[in-house]
Amino acid sequence: MLEVKNLTKIYDDGTVALRNVSFTVHDGEFLIIIGLSGSGKSTLLRCINRLIQPTEGQIVWDGMDVTAADASELRKIRRQIGMIFQHFNLVRRSKVITNVIAGRLGYVSQWSSLLHRFPKEDRQKALAALERLGIADQAQKRADELSGGQQQRVGIARALMQDPKIILADEPVASLDPVLAHSILGHLEMLNKEEGISILCSLHYLDLVQQYASRVIGLRAGEIVYRGTQQEIRAMTDEEFKDIYGQEAVRVGAGLGTSVGGGA
Amino acid sequence: MRSNSEVRRRSRERPPSLTPAPVNGIASLVLPGLGQILARRIGRGLLILASLASIIGLLAWRIVALAHRQPTAVAMLIRALNRRPFFIGAMLVGTVLLWLWSAWDAYREAQPGQRGGAFIFVLILALFFGLGWQISEIDLYKAVTELSDTWPLLSKVLWPWGAATVQVTETMEAKAPIQVPCSDDPPAPPEETPGEPHLKAEPMCGNLSDLDEDNNVVPGTTLTLNGKNFDPEKETQIWWRPPTGGEFRIRQEREYVAVQTDDQGAFQIDVVMPYRLVPPSAKGPQIHFVIARQISDTGAVRLSEPLLLSIERMVETIFLGMMATAFGIVLAVPTSFLAARNLMSGSWLSIGVYYVTRGIMNIVRSIEPLIWVIIAAQWVGLGPFAGIIALTIHTIAALGKLYSEAIESIDAGPIEAIQATGATGLQTIMYAVVPQMIPPFVSFSIYRWDINVRMSTVVGLVGGGGIGFLLVQYIRLLNFRAAGIAVWFIAITVAILDYVSAEIRERFV
Repeated sequence: MLEVKNLTKIYDDGTVALRNVSFTVHDGEFLIIIGLSGSGKSTLLRCINRLIQPTEGQIVWDGMDVTAADASELRKIRRQIGMIFQHFNLVRRSKVITNVIAGRLGYVSQWSSLLHRFPKEDRQKALAALERLGIADQAQKRADELSGGQQQRVGIARALMQDPKIILADEPVASLDPVLAHSILGHLEMLNKEEGISILCSLHYLDLVQQYASRVIGLRAGEIVYRGTQQEIRAMTDEEFKDIYGQEAVRVGAGLGTSVGGGA
Repeated sequence: MRSNSEVRRRSRERPPSLTPAPVNGIASLVLPGLGQILARRIGRGLLILASLASIIGLLAWRIVALAHRQPTAVAMLIRALNRRPFFIGAMLVGTVLLWLWSAWDAYREAQPGQRGGAFIFVLILALFFGLGWQISEIDLYKAVTELSDTWPLLSKVLWPWGAATVQVTETMEAKAPIQVPCSDDPPAPPEETPGEPHLKAEPMCGNLSDLDEDNNVVPGTTLTLNGKNFDPEKETQIWWRPPTGGEFRIRQEREYVAVQTDDQGAFQIDVVMPYRLVPPSAKGPQIHFVIARQISDTGAVRLSEPLLLSIERMVETIFLGMMATAFGIVLAVPTSFLAARNLMSGSWLSIGVYYVTRGIMNIVRSIEPLIWVIIAAQWVGLGPFAGIIALTIHTIAALGKLYSEAIESIDAGPIEAIQATGATGLQTIMYAVVPQMIPPFVSFSIYRWDINVRMSTVVGLVGGGGIGFLLVQYIRLLNFRAAGIAVWFIAITVAILDYVSAEIRERFV
């Protein structure tokens, strides 16, 4: 269980990215965060594993206070929290298998990992993860030789290597074709259903939110402006959407990947 | 859109001239460009004035250069016209034409709806090119007629391999001591060994040839040489070795002295003792040697000294480049961190360090390695080490810049992703930073090695060791075949290196 309590983030330049944000992710949930670009979604996700240092508030992961953890405790927490990114954040020039096995770095001994030595089980685990995502045949290729959808699946495989209890997904389909969005979210849903991994995901596309979310929170200007259950979000109208996104938002119909963008 | 075309139309309608057109023409006749300025074409006017002034200045310089001994300006002009009638004539006509044309140009520019046209600038360019042709001493006639003079040299450089090998010779010789001048204590005659060549001189002492006060030759003592046990029926050369060293073949009547042995391998010949300057400090009798020598080809062939030296120096050059690159890389890496904006943007102090590092690197890089060699040669003396220092200094600056740009372009995404897995700082560097840095680092380093080996041949020309040093020596000795061998080695090495470095970079990038 992940509890976020009164989280506030103010950047050095004075920008208030998050203001007094509180919510809970229960085990096995598929919680989706919606909101415009700049509403604080990425900052929120990065505060949870402290890639960004929160200014105020508390984050509690399975009873451990993330915000108060020292460096080695933080690493132990981080390794249980998988993360995937909008731009995949793979090391483009490294091999796919190297990128995937890097997910084990929090578990293996530092010195042998510096020499790229990993236990045999980890290698098998990496191949199995790629197999599961349907890209086992790409294992020896360089990451940048893969298509965008394949790269995001490598990203998921890397997160999977951490044996995560939760996966933070920062707009995982925003730089992919709408057609691929379903494929990627389908994989996340599979992990959510089969492994019971909680998913905390930020998304743009309304259709996708309605299809995958078990619960939704809406962010606007760093504050939570909407909380909804699966039923509520599925019944949501454009008017309610506009409330979350602000009055300037217009729903742009684009078939499968209908999204809400800022004012034209 | 509408406002755009309005602007265009307005710019076409220039404000009217300050003065009536004929005045503009006369003004430009007095001072070229003035009329145009009065017609509110200030840029055009200044350009014409500056061009004409520099053309006249340069022309005057050329006339003085062609006729600087003449007392008056007119005499100079006549002399210059005599020496280069076409050039001086055409330039004078062109300059006068330009002057007049500038008046016509000003007249036209001052009239509404008329323009001076581009001809005046064509004329200015033509005059500048005419001057350029003469100042840079271009002589196509000479280039064509004397082309054949290059052939003897060029053929040696292009195909120098005749000098790559030499015939192995065998020498059979015997020597006899000669005391100069005679004294009471004559030298012992050489011992006779059966079967070995032997030379006997009679007498065994005497005086060298000398010069009297009128520089006439005073012949020295005549020696009768008797040789035996040499190869029969063979030419035998007579050499002289003074005690100061530096043996030489004796000449008589401007011909080298040589004698044919008989069928027993014996000969007899009279030789006048040669002229040799004896230093005044050398007092008392000295022992010189007269030598009889037979040289014969064995038929075997060995690699020549220029070839062996070229190989040796080429190896030296490659390693020179390699060492300079290695030192350069080692020192460029820390420097590049100081010169990477994304790493140094933390505080005012680090930004200051960034600008200072960048500044120093730019200055060092803009000074050619050739200059650095001269400085390094003062420091550690001529030779490959000076070359290494010069190239290292330049490499630090050049690579430091390239490296720092690679650091600046690093992608932060993978760093974030690896941190999120719970990796330590070292692991993050190893898995997210290093993989991004290695390809550009390797690529730039190999590229630089390539450049350094090429540069090290040039650096040698000014005393930085390596094959360049050898090359410039051969050129100064007019030994063009040997120079050709060195040039070939440079060309082959550079071509191979070019290929290899391209291949390696291909793999990494």
